[in-house]
Amino acid sequence: MSILIAALLLLLAATGAGVVLTRAPRRQVLALSVNGLVLALLFMALQAPDVAFAEITVGAAAVPLLFLIVLASMKMDRSPRPPDEP
Amino acid sequence: MTPKLRLALFLLACIVTLPAILLLALHMPAFGAHPLPYGDAIDAAAPGERHISNMVSAINFDYRGFDTLGEEFMLLCAVTGTVVLLRGSRGEALEARPGIVKGRRILPRSDAVVLIGRLFAPLIMLFGIYVAVHAMTTPGGGFQGGVIAATSALLVFFGDGYHGWRGVMKSQVLDALEGGGAALYALCGFASMAIGAPFLTNFLPLGTLKDVWSGGLMLVENAGVACAVGGGFAMIFLEFLEETRTKKGGAKE
Repeated sequence: MSILIAALLLLLAATGAGVVLTRAPRRQVLALSVNGLVLALLFMALQAPDVAFAEITVGAAAVPLLFLIVLASMKMDRSPRPPDEP
Repeated sequence: MTPKLRLALFLLACIVTLPAILLLALHMPAFGAHPLPYGDAIDAAAPGERHISNMVSAINFDYRGFDTLGEEFMLLCAVTGTVVLLRGSRGEALEARPGIVKGRRILPRSDAVVLIGRLFAPLIMLFGIYVAVHAMTTPGGGFQGGVIAATSALLVFFGDGYHGWRGVMKSQVLDALEGGGAALYALCGFASMAIGAPFLTNFLPLGTLKDVWSGGLMLVENAGVACAVGGGFAMIFLEFLEETRTKKGGAKE
C-alpha cells in the first residue's frame, strides 16, 4: 500500500466523519460532496477509473445537487397556496 | 430508551460481534490481492475474443450484457417514477419565477459565474461525449459519458439562469432519448435472436483492437446506454429544478 493510498484512506475517514458530525443539512450536503470527491480520488489511485468516473459524477455532483434542490424546495414559502394544491 | 440503556446495548453488541469482526479481518486477502479468477480470465480473453481493450465495457455490454439490460430498465423505471411524481404543479412554464425563501435574497449573477458557465458547459459536454464514444478503448463508457453530458447542461443553469436552461432542455427530447436508448439496447438483443443466435449475441463485425469503432454490437448497446442515461439524468434534474419554482408570484430573478 503506497503513501498515496494510505493518505487517501485517512482523508476518506476524515471526510466521512465530517458527513456524520455535520448537523446543518446544507453543510452536510457539501460534506457529502467532498466525501464523494475523495472516494473518486481513491478509486482513481486504486486503478479503477471507470468507477471513479461514475462516483465523481453521481456521488460528488448529481446526488448533492438533488439534495440541495430538496432543501431549497422545503424552505420555500408556499403560502398562500393556490386552490388546486392540497 | 434512555441513553444509559442504549450505551449498554451498544457495548453488549460490541462484545458479541468483535470476535467475529476480528476473525474476518485477520483472514482477509492481502490489500490489492484478487484471489477470484474471473477478472484475470476476462483480461486474457476479451482482447482476442471481442477486439476491445476496456474490459469493463466487455463485461458490461457483452459477457454480462443481460445484467446491463436489467439495469437499463431499472433506471428507466426510476426516472419514470420521478417524473410521474413531480410533473405537474410547479415550474412548467418557461417564465416561472423562483420561489421565495424567507430571509434569503436572490443575488444577481456575477459575470465570473456567467463566463465559467458558458466556457465550461460546451467543453464538459464534449468530454462526456468523448467518454461515451471511447467506451471500447479507454475507461468510461455510456453510463459515465451520459451522466457527464447531463451534468454539463447544469452549467447552463448556473451561467444563464432558469430560463436559458429551460430553453435548451426540451423534455420531449429527453423523454425520447431516455426511452429510445433503453429500447435500442433491448432491440440489440432481439436483433441477435432474429438471425437465429441467442439473445444479445455479438453478431456485428468486431473491428480492430484499440480502434474506436471496435466491439461490434457493443458499440450500438453503448450508444443506447449513453442516450438513456444522459436523457434520464437530465430529466431528473429538470423535474427537480422545476420544484424550486413557484406557480404564482414569486421573486424577481
